[in-house]
Amino acid sequence: MATSDSSSSPSSSGTEFADPNPSTDPETNSERVQSQLESMNLSQPSEVSDGSHTEFSGGDDDDNDVASANGNEGGVSNGGLVSEGVAGISGEEEIEVSLRAENPVEMEAGEEPPSPTSSGYDGERGSSGGATSTYKADDVSEDEIREANVDGDTASQHEAAWLPGKRHVDEDDASMSWRKRKKHFFILSNSGKPIYSRYGDEHKLAGFSATLQAIISFVENGGDRVNLIKAGKHQVVFLVKGPIYLVCISCTDETYEYLRGQLDLLYGQMILILTKSIDRCFEKNAKFDMTPLLGGTDAVFSSLVHSFSWNPATFLHAYTCLPLPYALRQATGTILQDVCASGVLFSLLMCRHKVVSLAGAQKASLHPDDLLLLSNFVMSSESFRQVLNILSIRTSESFSPICLPRYNAQAFLHAYVHFFDDDTYVILLTTRSDAFHHLKDCRVRIETVLLKSNILSVVQRSIAEGGMRVEDLPIDRRRRSSTANQGQDTAVPEVSVGTGGPCGLWHFMYRSIYLDQYINSEFSPPVTSHRQQKSLYRAYQKLYASMHVKGLGPHKTQYRRDENYTLLCWVTPDFELYAAFDPLADKAMAIKICNQVCQRVKDVENEVFLQGASPFSW
Amino acid sequence: MGMASMSSGSESLRLCVFDLRRGQHEGQELDKILFFYPPDLTFSTQLSVIGLSEGLITFTRLFSPEAACEVIEAERHSHVFYEAEPDIWMVMVVEKNKEIEAVWRIDALRRVLKEVHSLFVMFQGSIRALLEKEPTGGLIRSHLYPFITDYLNDLFVCKKHQLPSFRETLTERGTVQMLTLARDAALEVQSLVGVLDSCAGTVRCHSVILFHDLLVSTTLSPDDTVDLFAFSVMRLTTNALSSGTSSWSYLRKGSVTPQISSRSTSVLPLGSGGTLPSGNGSSTGRVIRPLQQDKWSKGKDGFLVTDIWGIDATPTILIQKTQERFYFLTYQYKSLTLVLLVPTAAIVNGELDISFVKQQVIENASAKILKVEEKLSKGWGGENAYHVSGYRYLLVDNDMEVSRASPAGKVATLAKESLLALNKLREEVDTEKSRSKQEKDMETCIRAKNNTWVIARLNRGKELYMALEKASETLLDATDSVQRFSNRYCSGAFSMD
Repeated sequence: MATSDSSSSPSSSGTEFADPNPSTDPETNSERVQSQLESMNLSQPSEVSDGSHTEFSGGDDDDNDVASANGNEGGVSNGGLVSEGVAGISGEEEIEVSLRAENPVEMEAGEEPPSPTSSGYDGERGSSGGATSTYKADDVSEDEIREANVDGDTASQHEAAWLPGKRHVDEDDASMSWRKRKKHFFILSNSGKPIYSRYGDEHKLAGFSATLQAIISFVENGGDRVNLIKAGKHQVVFLVKGPIYLVCISCTDETYEYLRGQLDLLYGQMILILTKSIDRCFEKNAKFDMTPLLGGTDAVFSSLVHSFSWNPATFLHAYTCLPLPYALRQATGTILQDVCASGVLFSLLMCRHKVVSLAGAQKASLHPDDLLLLSNFVMSSESFRQVLNILSIRTSESFSPICLPRYNAQAFLHAYVHFFDDDTYVILLTTRSDAFHHLKDCRVRIETVLLKSNILSVVQRSIAEGGMRVEDLPIDRRRRSSTANQGQDTAVPEVSVGTGGPCGLWHFMYRSIYLDQYINSEFSPPVTSHRQQKSLYRAYQKLYASMHVKGLGPHKTQYRRDENYTLLCWVTPDFELYAAFDPLADKAMAIKICNQVCQRVKDVENEVFLQGASPFSW
Repeated sequence: MGMASMSSGSESLRLCVFDLRRGQHEGQELDKILFFYPPDLTFSTQLSVIGLSEGLITFTRLFSPEAACEVIEAERHSHVFYEAEPDIWMVMVVEKNKEIEAVWRIDALRRVLKEVHSLFVMFQGSIRALLEKEPTGGLIRSHLYPFITDYLNDLFVCKKHQLPSFRETLTERGTVQMLTLARDAALEVQSLVGVLDSCAGTVRCHSVILFHDLLVSTTLSPDDTVDLFAFSVMRLTTNALSSGTSSWSYLRKGSVTPQISSRSTSVLPLGSGGTLPSGNGSSTGRVIRPLQQDKWSKGKDGFLVTDIWGIDATPTILIQKTQERFYFLTYQYKSLTLVLLVPTAAIVNGELDISFVKQQVIENASAKILKVEEKLSKGWGGENAYHVSGYRYLLVDNDMEVSRASPAGKVATLAKESLLALNKLREEVDTEKSRSKQEKDMETCIRAKNNTWVIARLNRGKELYMALEKASETLLDATDSVQRFSNRYCSGAFSMD
């Protein structure tokens, strides 16, 4: 019998951990599970069903209403957040050192890296300040309350307004506005202690967190593991990583597979900051409180969560390059390679989240997910951009312990980060904690080459010009269907349906399987607002999930049409193509255009992809 | 051999019915349970299944007040929820096992729950009503237990329950399969229906006519037709009566085997009534088991007889649309099955009046029945009547609750991978449908790894699912195939222009 463990006979796993919340519940763990599950019944308050419902119904379609209504309290809690971050410093460093001491790859505890800046953690306090300032910013992304007004024009203005950091800290599970948020993320420990919540103050969510823990362990006690709960438009997705539980509650129209992938990335981001050796802290003390360790990293997580709705790398598991002339990328690659030869593990030149070039030491390979998490960490932490050094001089170089979860989740590497300008930065990764000065020298060498070949201004120009555009695709005026044997000469109007590219092509993504890289076209009309773009990416995500069904996939081709798009996907051993067309686009022409897109990408592959200059085997 | 034997060994199905309004106080939790299968599980195990379900219903309502928990997907089990009546939930827990092909579509499993509940209501009235009639719950438990157990018996093949797996992805439970009539046959049927409806004098009757396992005509609402059709195919049609020879109907394919029928006649599951949470079921009088197997036979006068409702007692059912109770009389001639529904309120003299109605049917309708049977038999294409060469399809009309599909034997020729791919596609479509408020209009064509095209088309409440093996490799060819099918067999419902 699979679930023969009755609730009244707690299994060993249930009693293994001491009670995490003595203040709220002094009973044993399994009894708490029961009482939790029971209390969920009893306490399901009338507030859910009646009264408060109407209270917020007005704010349903406008998030700002809710935000401003909470404004006063918001100020107070934000203040609390900042001061807490400061208070936590001493504790953080203490634990950080202890983590390192446990880590065989690490240097001895106590040996301070001669870094001009502090560790990443301190720096992030700056970003928690950022959170305070962004509180009043327009809310975007899933931040909006469910069933918000779908208004393209205002939504498009939102994009520019997105700022990292945590919002709605004053909410908790009792607030109706909190329950109506479209997408929640929670990280908690297996004893039910909250570690991270996308919305609301973790401390106020202790009870809710315990409920999540109760659900997970209740199913676990029955010899099973809960993955997903569906209720109407809502999905509750669970991911258990040792002593860390991750939960997503979402009513966004995303697939289970992708939501689970998002939790996986969220976990990876946490490991990037702390390494997997935190597991040992939980082994030693089940009540271990992890929140101080992550103090001030709200911006990192919120930026990652934001990227789930705009960055295809999060579901394609591939990275993208900034388009550059082949020779320039080669020149950059050469100097990065040289640097790696001098004992640097990885050297990367990045522009925002795009790769300019990268190189690695022999046999070292960098997973695209690590690259995503690393660039997110660097880009979202203000501290990497501008820090005050010991002499109170502004500098933009930092040295910080970082873990690459896919490369080695157990050990810290050390990252030297330097911003050349607002967008372009170099990351040098080493296993040696005393390598700051060496890496600084490497950076100077790289900078010299960059200046000499004027790469930085080319990079800026490339940013301004953007990537491929569907409008630039050549329009084939021959009215012949791509499959001549069909004998059906489709009388397709020459002028493309709607706007965008030829034959109603709106957008495409091309992923090279060998290179683990992708490119996507710039958004063109009519996909202009942030909301429309997000919706298109969601459609792609579904298509991706549908093509890569576990155990069956990948499928070869897929055509999908609904009221919003015509989507085509083509998977070969070499590449995957995802293309979005006007829903009224002609099928035969769409196929033809897809072939043209593939040809076009092959024509420019030297500019848009980082070609095998580096000895990586991904 | 009793019911207990079913739950032993490799049995991996759990099914429970519980009432959220009951057992709210500590120590009274058992009161919630109205039905639990397998019945020999300890109370604490039963309570833990129900506790989890109840906890998650409450939890999900925090975020989704309008639609509570529908499914829990765990590593080894799927828990499928169905709120049959307000606060009355049915939960089915099934074990996933890739080796024995336990790959399901959740919606198909939920339709099983829906069907068993609809059938229960049709015969016994709503669960809530029975609970209100006798608040201790003894009455409802004593009715639910044999009813659901009898229903599950039908799914019991080779020592375990055969739930609708991916192999049945080209079927739709909860719909009716219709016989296509030629014009002259349709006129004959219409005239027969007219005669049947007036068999009880001025009292308006209803009728449902089946030929083999296909619906020929109905005067009931679509919902009521679905329930009565499901029951007829289970127990009344010629295929159901000769249950030894397995029905070709794809819905019931292989569900009735000689092994079960021999067993279920000899054993009364009520013998294990002692395991019921409330043992007072017997005090409420005789419990009728409408789904009991092998209890129907054809009488000399052509009417089917059963002692399920007692010797010489005519069965009654509740019609949802009007909430009226009807006697139902089943007349069979060759492969033609006619169900006549007479309002109980109109029958004053009980069985006396009923025999009068029967007599009327024989006197007035016999000739027409003969004629209709002759016409239908002549036009009858056999088991593979609806096979379309090269296609494996399912066509569903949601408004009419009607479906048509390739014959089971033909679907069985598809590769496992093709069926799995189509099953997965149907799952995606289920999700899209549940998210969209209006009727969804969409088209998906997938060329799977094994080169099969799996296709889903939704248009104005109609759905078409297809698997095309050995089709041409181009998308346009596949689309053309759908187009041809649509023009020929769906009156162009899925044509693209």
